[in-house]
Amino acid sequence: MVLSLRDSVHLISDPFNLDASVEEVFRTMLGVQCVPVSTRLNTSPESMTAVVGFGGLLSGACVFRCDAPDALAIASLLTGLEFQGIDDTVKDGIGEMCNILAGTWKSKVPELAAHCGLSVPAVITGHDYELHVQAPEFQLRRAFAFEGVSFEVTIVCDGIL
Amino acid sequence: MRGVRTLIVDDSSVMRKIVERALRQAGLELLVVHEAGSGVEGLELLRTRQVDLILTDINMPSMDGLEFLSQIAAQSLAPGVPVVMITTESSEEHVKRAIQSGARGYLRKPFTAEQVKERVLPLVHAA
Repeated sequence: MVLSLRDSVHLISDPFNLDASVEEVFRTMLGVQCVPVSTRLNTSPESMTAVVGFGGLLSGACVFRCDAPDALAIASLLTGLEFQGIDDTVKDGIGEMCNILAGTWKSKVPELAAHCGLSVPAVITGHDYELHVQAPEFQLRRAFAFEGVSFEVTIVCDGIL
Repeated sequence: MRGVRTLIVDDSSVMRKIVERALRQAGLELLVVHEAGSGVEGLELLRTRQVDLILTDINMPSMDGLEFLSQIAAQSLAPGVPVVMITTESSEEHVKRAIQSGARGYLRKPFTAEQVKERVLPLVHAA
């Protein structure tokens, strides 16, 4: 039997799964109620992006992006520590949030959970950069907010078998 | 059980602290918490330290959690000590592989202290 996710694309690309994953992860890990918003609330020049790759029947990535002050706020809630600036613990925390989001999102579709693996997270920090993916199979980009903190989660699928 | 000696293996130092906090919130009295950033480090610790409980991530660079479990068995380290896998992977296949590798329990991230209480504490009490 040839395994394929082609018949499940409509489920995999349903934004509801991403919204539900973000709500679950932030409620469980940080104790906050996250809601979808039309765009990120804050735009400071310095931002942080965590990327977790998908491999297997679906290839692509889960990309978590937020501004530096929002990264500090999320890391503080996650660890119970106060941060003055971006350090290795903040990067580790944001990478782990992205990892948990990616895993939770793929668990929403059983075929995807069983036949798609995750990479370890990579974290990028910098000023005024853009992410560009050439002709993805599909892309889900959603912004979310809680208590004045906002961030963006993008699921990029560049190949599906 | 009082004064549990625990080993937490995860490449994320933040996640190791979150696991420790969840164990305490679940009501486990921790005597000592050893931390390892990889399966290799975990094996090194087990050669020199005695523990009552091991919690390990699966998806780690250099040596993943499943290989770590296989090595524990192959090297007869920590005999009888319950191992709980903690991971973002949640399919039946992943759970099956973890149990086949010797894990007694399984926690999917994100997890609550209540889930830790339900799934980890009985293993500690039974050991």
